[in-house]
Amino acid sequence: MSAAFDLSTDTSGRLVFVDPAGTRHQNVRPLRMFPLTEPNHWISLQDASGREVGCIEDPSKLSEAQLTALRMALAKRDFVPVIRTIHRVARAADGHEWQVTTDRGPTKFRTENDEAIQSLGGARFVIIDDHNTRYLIPNVEDLDRDSRRKLERYY
Amino acid sequence: MPVQPQRALYNLANRLIFRATRNRLPSHATTDSTETLLQHAEARLSANERTIARLQTDLDASLHFHRGMVILTSLRLLSVEATKNRDISFRSWRLLDVEDLVLEELGATAEVHLVQAGELEYAWRVITGRVREADAFLARFKEQQRILRSESAALQKALDGNGGGDEFDDDATTTGPRGSPLIRLLKFALPWRSLLVLGFLLTLAHVGAQMITPWLTMDLVDNVLIPLQSATDRVHVKHVYRFAAFLAGAAVLTWMLNWAKTFVVARLAERVTSRMRRETFEHLQRLSLTYFNKKRTGDLISRIGSDTDHISLFISINLIEFLSDSLFFFALAGILIWKNPLLAIAALGPAPVVGWLVNKVRTHLRGGFAAASRAWSAMNSVLTDVIPGVRVVKAFAQEQREIDRFRAADKHIFDTNDRVNRTWSFFTPMIELLTDAGLITVWAVGAWAVAHDRITVGVLTGFVFYIYRFYGRLESMSRFLASAQRASASAHRIFEVLDVQPDMPVNDGRKKIGRIRGEIEFKGVKLRHGSRQVIKGIDLKIQPGEMIGLVGPSGAGKTTIVNLACRFFDVTEGAVLVDGTDIREIDVEDYRRNLGLVLQEPYLFFGTIAENIAYGKPQATRAEIIAAARAARAHDFILKQPDGYDSMVGERGQQLSGGERQRISIARALLIDPALLILDEATSAVDTETEREIQEALDHLVKGRTTIAIAHRLGTLRKANRLIVMEDGRIVETGTHDVLLAHSGTYARLHQAMMEVTHR
Repeated sequence: MSAAFDLSTDTSGRLVFVDPAGTRHQNVRPLRMFPLTEPNHWISLQDASGREVGCIEDPSKLSEAQLTALRMALAKRDFVPVIRTIHRVARAADGHEWQVTTDRGPTKFRTENDEAIQSLGGARFVIIDDHNTRYLIPNVEDLDRDSRRKLERYY
Repeated sequence: MPVQPQRALYNLANRLIFRATRNRLPSHATTDSTETLLQHAEARLSANERTIARLQTDLDASLHFHRGMVILTSLRLLSVEATKNRDISFRSWRLLDVEDLVLEELGATAEVHLVQAGELEYAWRVITGRVREADAFLARFKEQQRILRSESAALQKALDGNGGGDEFDDDATTTGPRGSPLIRLLKFALPWRSLLVLGFLLTLAHVGAQMITPWLTMDLVDNVLIPLQSATDRVHVKHVYRFAAFLAGAAVLTWMLNWAKTFVVARLAERVTSRMRRETFEHLQRLSLTYFNKKRTGDLISRIGSDTDHISLFISINLIEFLSDSLFFFALAGILIWKNPLLAIAALGPAPVVGWLVNKVRTHLRGGFAAASRAWSAMNSVLTDVIPGVRVVKAFAQEQREIDRFRAADKHIFDTNDRVNRTWSFFTPMIELLTDAGLITVWAVGAWAVAHDRITVGVLTGFVFYIYRFYGRLESMSRFLASAQRASASAHRIFEVLDVQPDMPVNDGRKKIGRIRGEIEFKGVKLRHGSRQVIKGIDLKIQPGEMIGLVGPSGAGKTTIVNLACRFFDVTEGAVLVDGTDIREIDVEDYRRNLGLVLQEPYLFFGTIAENIAYGKPQATRAEIIAAARAARAHDFILKQPDGYDSMVGERGQQLSGGERQRISIARALLIDPALLILDEATSAVDTETEREIQEALDHLVKGRTTIAIAHRLGTLRKANRLIVMEDGRIVETGTHDVLLAHSGTYARLHQAMMEVTHR
């Protein structure tokens, strides 16, 4: 990444991207290319019509201000709760109902089938509910014993 | 020499069909005569002569079925066949005298002609099913003749030069190691020898521990209970405590040993079956496409799945139980005879009857279980057929038909199991009856013996205890019987897969070539599938970096050409040369690393998009994956997926559209940077809009690589340097689009037809 581009936040809190050619793109959407396996690298920047206007491989090489702008923009669209405790997994008519505590507080959700629980390699798991929200378990070993037992039946 | 699939299949079928009945029929007539012929021939071999290949012949001159055999040895060609009066006629020719062997195809049969001095000297006849085998035999013959000719200059070498070569067993026409499936199963357990020994020792100890309680009982009755009751002697209460303590100790010991034994054995069973599953799957991966085309998926799945399960169950529960039961048997018989021979004979009297019964039921069961396994496979086949094809089923509203099909398959399982159950539902109660008979005999003879003071009441009690266990064990042995036969049938089905030798021997081409330049040459290539000549002589040289387009009507052999270039098949005649080297001399895996394949129906595996793109190069970096996706015009739609590159594609990629799947498969091909690119109808399954997108992606892909493209949409081929027009297994025209159009031949016709369709 050369320094030939710039990232900033405009007054209404939207991300502005100036590409190496000098073109200014308002209201740019940052998108993680590998949201589950490599969330902190490979950020694609897309304009309002969904066209890619830039790509940031390693955000840590950005300047402090740019990084903050990017982080803020990402945080706004980022919603991947991290599961801390699993209280209950109950079989429902079609799928399962989960009661969990996440880093964003306690919640309930439903999954439709066994494919909803996906291993991301090693002890990393993601659970996708019926509304397409992703719940991340960064490391199964970090869960408490009870939660682990409950999860074990499903992978 | 490659294994002949027909032959392998024939063997499989043969073994499947005759296996079940082998026990009852003396021996099957045909195998018998083949064996006899073989023995006759081998008896005539000289000391320095060894067998190289053999070919079974099926027909006599009047085309009646008649077994014979041609055997190629290191020095001669032998022919043996049975004559009408049950003699064996035998002829032989020195290889150096034989001018040629020629295969003549005559519709449903074929003849192998032995030509000597320009004239037909002898002919053998085979059915077409054996033509490939005959082909291979001829190839071996020519090779051996070549060797002999080069050696005949130095005659000395011919005498000792062949020593130490491989024997008949290595011949591809044999079916691999034989022997009882259960014995072969043991070989699978060898890596866990120590577990096996430990399991056995624990079993021994467990049996020993089981003997303690009845033994103690004898003492208890004679020295404590009877004196107590008759009150003739005073018994110290200490004795009672001692016995109680011993009995408790024996119980605990038995329990602990049983636990340890079960644990060790279950562990062993899991390892053995896991190895079996693994090896079967690994073996499957090495088999050629031809094999998979012939086998039903469901059948293979059930072999790897449920058949290994039967075996696991057998090893972990029944085998060890059987072992301990047999030990128990002998130990018990020993104790009984030692204690009192008369009573022992009375008690063990019904045992031979049980033995006889066991033997009788066994043969029944084995056939039954083999049939049940096959029925299970058939049902699996229906499932693997219908579930992936559910869209078609629904579209044609054929649900009921599939339900009926499944019902029929299920009924078949039901029926075969019913038959088996009928046999052994009779068997188990029969054992119980015999148990009762044994007990009654013991009571009767025992009462008599006690009355005549031959034995004490304690000994009789001990006997009853022992006998009760003895017959109890017999019942579990009957269960063993069922499961052993089931496991045997299952093991047999698995070994059947393992015994199929890859008909594309990977190890015959050892040459590592690394990255090829991309020059592909077809030299007088002919290919036969069974009796059908698919490719009838192709000569074609493709320069490195050239893109050629294969066009022609369906069934012209375009895909076959591609399959030959990928070495999914081997040519029957001629050769495919890569960078001037015969493709058969090159290490297959090494060669295929140079290949990029984009198929009409792109197959994606269950996994993320990134994993699918990196399928051919798992160590690819994320930057490489993204670059490949960009080049394949896949990047944008991938980012629209909920998890970007981490999105799961679902089974067979159902969550993506056809064009999207195709672009992912193009990215997959791009990532490995292939030297030779194969496009097999890459654009025919998509609409024109998508085709344009794919076309862009493809243009990227073909740059600087040797490309062989098949297309019905001639637009896909606009970048091709040359178009090869094929018809009926031959090349009919070659040239650029314009030249071919001007020529107004087959291509012009195809083009015309296409224009009419698209511009209607």
